[in-house]
Amino acid sequence: MSSSTKFLTLKTCDDKKFVLDEAIAVRSQTIKNMVEDDCVSNVIPLPNVNSKTMTKVIEYWKKHSEEGVSKDVLMDFDKAFVKVHHSILHALILAANFLNDKEILDMMCQEVADRIKGKTPEEIRKEFDIKNDFTPEEEEEIRKENAWAFE
Amino acid sequence: MLVFLISCFSFILLVSKSFFKPMGGFSNVWFSEELVKFLALWFSKGRNAISFLNSPLMTDHVKSKLENVVEKEEGVSLLDLPDLTLECIFERLPPNGLCNMAAVCNSLREKCTSDHLWEKHMKEKWGELIGSAAYKEWQCYVVSRNKASILEKSRKKKDLYGKFSKIRKLLWNRSKGNEDDSKVGNSSEMSSIMDWYLSLETGKFWFPAQVFNREVQNGQVGFMLSCYDAEVSYDSRTNTFSARYPSYGRRIIEDDIEWNRLRAPTVDTLPYVLHVSDCLDDLKPDDHIEIQWRKSKEFAYGWWYGVVGHSESCSGSKLNCHCHASGKLHNFEVNFVESQKGRRKIQMQG
Repeated sequence: MSSSTKFLTLKTCDDKKFVLDEAIAVRSQTIKNMVEDDCVSNVIPLPNVNSKTMTKVIEYWKKHSEEGVSKDVLMDFDKAFVKVHHSILHALILAANFLNDKEILDMMCQEVADRIKGKTPEEIRKEFDIKNDFTPEEEEEIRKENAWAFE
Repeated sequence: MLVFLISCFSFILLVSKSFFKPMGGFSNVWFSEELVKFLALWFSKGRNAISFLNSPLMTDHVKSKLENVVEKEEGVSLLDLPDLTLECIFERLPPNGLCNMAAVCNSLREKCTSDHLWEKHMKEKWGELIGSAAYKEWQCYVVSRNKASILEKSRKKKDLYGKFSKIRKLLWNRSKGNEDDSKVGNSSEMSSIMDWYLSLETGKFWFPAQVFNREVQNGQVGFMLSCYDAEVSYDSRTNTFSARYPSYGRRIIEDDIEWNRLRAPTVDTLPYVLHVSDCLDDLKPDDHIEIQWRKSKEFAYGWWYGVVGHSESCSGSKLNCHCHASGKLHNFEVNFVESQKGRRKIQMQG
């Protein structure tokens, strides 16, 4: 079985190379399409992904491709996987977007949504470093409208 | 003698299901538009991502570079994500999460108040209860609210001339609006689905609906499966409704009505008007029907559920039924479910 294993080399935007089993790499729909269209030369460039993010993605792919790993173990792994600073979370979302990996993308979007849930607008601004650009009048108007959401 | 009119269930289902169709079409247009937008963004964002992620990570000067990277990565803000991905995130938020997100900054406000996101919540919570009558009522509500806010603004300006000219304009518009229904439709464009959702959720907006089994609540246990028109308002704290029943002279209010006692009005007939049904000729034994009934002229009609029985001369067996032998079904019995009314003979006129 191992004799038929094909390897692909992925090159991230910071020129780091990752050698990966093709069967694992095709979890990315983007890479899968490249392989199927036979337009893969020696190295697949990933111009939108840096090595730090790619390391995380490959860590996920390998864990989820392991044979005989239980659902509980995967669930614990996923839980720990998403516990990162929001900037890494967003970089992972951009990478999953580019690689077209719906599984990672969905999981990350859910994580961001979970971080938003139950927070007031001010808490959301703090968590995601977002500037409040409303005028005091606009804010007053919105606060009135939003009274319901805080109940 | 009372005249009873009848409406078939199948007809009722058609009415209540047709309501959300226009919205479905709308979302398709939205989707294709958004897809184009996303593709455009994807390319532009992709280039950005290359430029700020393109820092050599694994070099010899690890320390200084590491700081550099951390700093640069913090630049990946939530707002930098492609629109379609943001949609994926916002779609997972409950209504109050969306509401809070819309209060964070201008760009998030624009995104999180979009009809597309609220359509799902609207359907999920209110889809079954909001009928075409409630939608019309909402359009009128928006028009009168907008007029009130224009009046309020002009009052604040203390500009006498401006005030009177505006009021004059409003009055003129109103008299025009009464004659022309399309006027109401145009004004409804000023309101969003989020606006509608919040007005329902906060109970500010009273809408037409029908309430089941009013008699049971009054201790008359024998009456079942009746339904009365009312204006209802939601209380999110108790998750129940209050209902105002139409009645000449005095206003009757009932509180603490659970969700399962409400439905959208099944026909557009007003509470004091007899409904003209178009399927009476097709009526046959065992059909499920609803009949309008009222105690006296002072009261609004209620709808009563029943099943058509066989005529006296018929044996009642399915194989040997001759209720339809003489053409239309003119005399038949209606069996009311567990009702004091029990079996009633119905005679159709006409």
